[in-house]
Amino acid sequence: MSEERGRAVTNGVRATLAGAAAGYLLLRSGSGYAWLLRPPGAVEEQEFLRKCIRCGRCAQACPYRAVEMGRLDAGIALGTPVIRARKNPCRLCADLPCVKACPSGALDPQLQDAAKTRIGTAVLVERQECLSLKGLRCEVCYRACPLLDKAITIENYLNARTGRHAIFEPVVHKEYCTGCGICEQACVLERPAIVVGPLQPPSESLYEG
Amino acid sequence: MKVNRWTLARRVVQLTVIGLLFTPCLGWGLFQGNLQSASLLGLKFSDPLAALQVLLLTGTVALPLLGGALLVLGGYGLLGGKTFCGWVCPVGLTTDLLECLPSTRRLRVWPLRGKLIALLVVLLLSLTLKIPAFETISPIGILSRALSFGPSSALLLMAVILLVEVLLVRRFWCRSLCPLGGFYSLVGRVSPLRIGYRVEACTHCDRCRRSCFVYEVLDAPLVEGTSHVVSGECTRCGACLDACPTGALNMRFQHPLK
Repeated sequence: MSEERGRAVTNGVRATLAGAAAGYLLLRSGSGYAWLLRPPGAVEEQEFLRKCIRCGRCAQACPYRAVEMGRLDAGIALGTPVIRARKNPCRLCADLPCVKACPSGALDPQLQDAAKTRIGTAVLVERQECLSLKGLRCEVCYRACPLLDKAITIENYLNARTGRHAIFEPVVHKEYCTGCGICEQACVLERPAIVVGPLQPPSESLYEG
Repeated sequence: MKVNRWTLARRVVQLTVIGLLFTPCLGWGLFQGNLQSASLLGLKFSDPLAALQVLLLTGTVALPLLGGALLVLGGYGLLGGKTFCGWVCPVGLTTDLLECLPSTRRLRVWPLRGKLIALLVVLLLSLTLKIPAFETISPIGILSRALSFGPSSALLLMAVILLVEVLLVRRFWCRSLCPLGGFYSLVGRVSPLRIGYRVEACTHCDRCRRSCFVYEVLDAPLVEGTSHVVSGECTRCGACLDACPTGALNMRFQHPLK
């Protein structure tokens, strides 16, 4: 092997390693979001990242264009399907076209019933901002929910502040909530008081403290 | 005027692929997906390297992915492996067109086997990161997603590749770095579609080598006197056939190991 060729091989190896290192750092460091809302049927997140081949079939199958492809700021989730509920939530299509389109099983084909979707769960995170909890008759999230009176119910009780009115509190029931995010989109506040979060919140590690 | 028949045919196929990648935006049902996984007229195709990465990571491959991958693997096995690079890949088309800049021809080159190292690195990277690493960072995936879903910031990677190819190293991505090209070069080794060579018609004008971006593959027939191109690195692009003034080269099916 000539000297020039040898140098070229060394350069090639260096470039590959540099590229790999850059890719590794980029993807390692950059998960831009704490948690990602996936399309219906998505398997557990770590498994999902292993199985998804980033082909975008689910996004193309979505008639509402609610499934986006993760961009560079998604870090390790670059090219994976993401739903941004506040912008464009999942509408829980009865025939689940996204699940049918997935070739890799990252969206589990065993999910047949859209109401059994469990991609997350709604949480009333900003309780002090929620209009209903302030004693107003908002309840927009309750009305918007596709599983009305199941995933969100209204519980009423005496408004302790006035002593003479009622509070109509929207209460999420995890056993029915699909995590579609329609309530998050519907919330009338600038920053939604109700948002979709992970099914298993990372609170366990907090308790262990 | 001589028409470059092979190059013309190749451009038609390449542009058709780009057109197909666009069609889902228009809401046509004809084609869905991209180069990682697609369905065309009901036939399902998948990238065999993507399936291989999923297999490494999870120990299993879902049936639709496996079927599609085997179909594609069989197709390219028959038609030359790196035929993908020469006829289908949109990155291949882009960097191919960049070679119209005459200055790129004077740049240095890197050896072809870099792709095999890159393939190995990508498979190891998949195992460490626990994601199909090439599907995530692949410029082919990024470019085809940009065609189907609109441009994204990830196109920066594509820009870096193009800059290097224009300023520093000729065709460095397709020649020396693309893991998928490395994968298909292995497939191309056993493929029966070959560039055949008739020494009695050859005038040794060297135009075929100058037209070829992986010109090393022509050394076997031209220097060592084999009856065809042996290397799996040949993309069966047909540029040499167009360049040859005497018809000493042809495209043919033959026993791959003879």
